[in-house]
Amino acid sequence: MWSIIREAFDKTLLVAKAYGILHITNSYLCTVALAYGPSMIPTINLTGDLILAERISPRIGKVGVGDIVIVRSPVVPRRVVTKRVVGMEGDQVTYLLDPHNSDEVHSIVVPRGHVWIQGDNIYNSKDSRDFGPVPYALVEAKLLWRVWPPKDFGPMQHISR
Amino acid sequence: MKLLSYIKQWKSAARETIARASIAAQFLSLIHITDAYICSTTLVQGPSMLPTLNYSGDVVLIEHLSHRLGKLEPGDIVVVRSPVDPKKIVAKRIVGMEGDRVTYLTEPSYSESSRTVLVPKGHVWIQGDNVYASADSRYFGAVPYGLIQGRAFLRVWPIRDFGFLG
Repeated sequence: MWSIIREAFDKTLLVAKAYGILHITNSYLCTVALAYGPSMIPTINLTGDLILAERISPRIGKVGVGDIVIVRSPVVPRRVVTKRVVGMEGDQVTYLLDPHNSDEVHSIVVPRGHVWIQGDNIYNSKDSRDFGPVPYALVEAKLLWRVWPPKDFGPMQHISR
Repeated sequence: MKLLSYIKQWKSAARETIARASIAAQFLSLIHITDAYICSTTLVQGPSMLPTLNYSGDVVLIEHLSHRLGKLEPGDIVVVRSPVDPKKIVAKRIVGMEGDRVTYLTEPSYSESSRTVLVPKGHVWIQGDNVYASADSRYFGAVPYGLIQGRAFLRVWPIRDFGFLG
């Protein structure tokens, strides 16, 4: 009887170790993200893409304009959003207030310690135009390489403005 | 012949090294997971939380469970990643949660004028206990909830100030 318990314990320990390694890799190195929704069309498909994201760049300050990043939402803390960085701290960002109806633009300087994020599909995206510049510490990962669907396999486009 | 025996020795030494290294790695992982997700210690210093926390530094225990479970409330001392300097972590008290109205003195050293704000959704309003010397939400605005790293609940050093915070 004890040998069964011991075996169960050993197997559980093995699973726990494997999970621990997976978790640390996922949280600090590299993770796979499912990005879906209309806000990053045409870069990311509406129905969802699996994209490899690395978590090292935000920690060492290597996130810049043109990168697509995963950011913890400043409005709903449990949610993460995928947007493109349009301005770093100190940059002047010009954006359309209401792209459907008018050509009116608004200009803002991104404050210290913050980034300005926008979805590629400005007609249907809740981003910094709605909730303002986002503190840099909320940037969690940078999207690197799309792995699914296979026809879109390849690096994420980096656009410099 | 000698080469073979060298290779054998090297193999067994390598195996033992890997075994010991993996034990060390597992131990470090356990420490890290406890430190990052359950409970950790920090040295907190500066004038912004006087008289609650000492100027020259207190060692406090921080728990990382409440903020993940959404169990933070006004009055909790939290450690938060600064919205103006992402490399810095600050310790302040939560004065208002999302939806609360917070009234604060705009210039406590000089005048009685005050302002009232509504804390936006997904944000918290943090202030240092020492309003005269604290850069907090009165300066950088409401802070997104996602920047909260943990809640300080117990001071362990100096020993004469040992006790629960709150």
